[in-house]
Amino acid sequence: MSQPDPGEVANELALVRAKLDKLSAHLAEEHKMAELGRLLAGIVHEINSPIGSIVSNNQVIIRSLEMLKSALSVGDRAALEKAARQVETCLSLAAIDKIACERISEVVRGLKTFVRADSVELRKADLNQQIASTLKLTHGQFKGRITVETDFGELPPVECHASMLGQVFLNILVNAGQAIEGPGKITVRTRPDGGAVHISIADTGAGIKPEDRPRVFAGGFTTKPVGVGTGLGLSLSKRIVEETHGGSIDFESEVGVGTTFHIRIPVEQKKKAAG
Amino acid sequence: MGTNQKASVVIVDDEEMVITSVRAYLQLETEFEIHGFTEPEPAVKHMESHLVDIAVSDYLMPRMSGIQFLTRAKQIQPEASRVLLTGHADKQSAIQAINEVGLYQYVEKPWENAQLLLIIQNGIERSKLLRELREKVSELDTAHSSLKNVQKRLLQAFL
Repeated sequence: MSQPDPGEVANELALVRAKLDKLSAHLAEEHKMAELGRLLAGIVHEINSPIGSIVSNNQVIIRSLEMLKSALSVGDRAALEKAARQVETCLSLAAIDKIACERISEVVRGLKTFVRADSVELRKADLNQQIASTLKLTHGQFKGRITVETDFGELPPVECHASMLGQVFLNILVNAGQAIEGPGKITVRTRPDGGAVHISIADTGAGIKPEDRPRVFAGGFTTKPVGVGTGLGLSLSKRIVEETHGGSIDFESEVGVGTTFHIRIPVEQKKKAAG
Repeated sequence: MGTNQKASVVIVDDEEMVITSVRAYLQLETEFEIHGFTEPEPAVKHMESHLVDIAVSDYLMPRMSGIQFLTRAKQIQPEASRVLLTGHADKQSAIQAINEVGLYQYVEKPWENAQLLLIIQNGIERSKLLRELREKVSELDTAHSSLKNVQKRLLQAFL
């Protein structure tokens, strides 16, 4: 038997590593898609009411305008008075339409920050705003069960891949929501912290069992039933926070009380050339 | 036939916009009396003191779900028709509601005005008929017992 050539082994290893990298990127993408799929039910709920309103209002406004038109041509007092009342209704419906359209736009904007392909690019972002649009996506899922409290401090613009951080927030928020059985509360707090910003997300959920804690950030670890969790969310989040942004992520948890995740992201990224 | 009283519709949705839109449409098309509530509790209160023909409720609301509300509505006024108007994407909630509350109808958001109107009109007619039926049954009961009385007296007179 011949000895393996060290050069060849190194080559092979490099190939395997490249394959692994590709695979993990692929997995990350799949995870994101699975997460979005789960959110979709909530999003649908979120935009159904405004769409229903707009469609209904549109019918009423068209009918009212027709009535108004004939009232104007007839010109008798009773018809005109009724028409004037219809105009009032139309005005209030138009105001509702505006609110409804804003609601839909907000949800769509929130979604866009996730699917944006420019995540490779570093840019200065308002993380409070990023968190707010992430919360727009989870609102439908939490509604009626979980109250979300935000305590946003004044943050400097943070140089980051905003949509990737959005995924991190989403992961942790969705986990928090799943940890809470029945009614509960999630508190999101942001503060400037030296050359970084500190984001904490606290839930009043079941807490993480001590024996599970060391594996929380391990890829493929999940306590959720099949089809609910991929077991990738937190390992991905850790990678995005620590490797991509040079930040930190950790948590404290008490069984029966809840879990708080702490994320720290430096305000400025070290220049690649220095590293 | 029936009373000439205006039909009374209760709408419960935590989103004001839904109430406003449905109300504007129903006011344009019908003479119904419309009572909108953004929370279930005052709607329950209203039903305790006012005759209602149909209650239309959202499903997901803070504190009390649409199913819980409609269950209360059924206890208070069993003859009022119950409709769930929901944007919830899963059918599970609908099935649960139909089984638990004895829903008259289930409507999905975004709703179709003409369809909603038809459901509400039919629901109102149904509850009016149920109420009339109950009145007739109790009339029959009274008639029956007074007949029995007469019979008793007749028998006594002959014996």
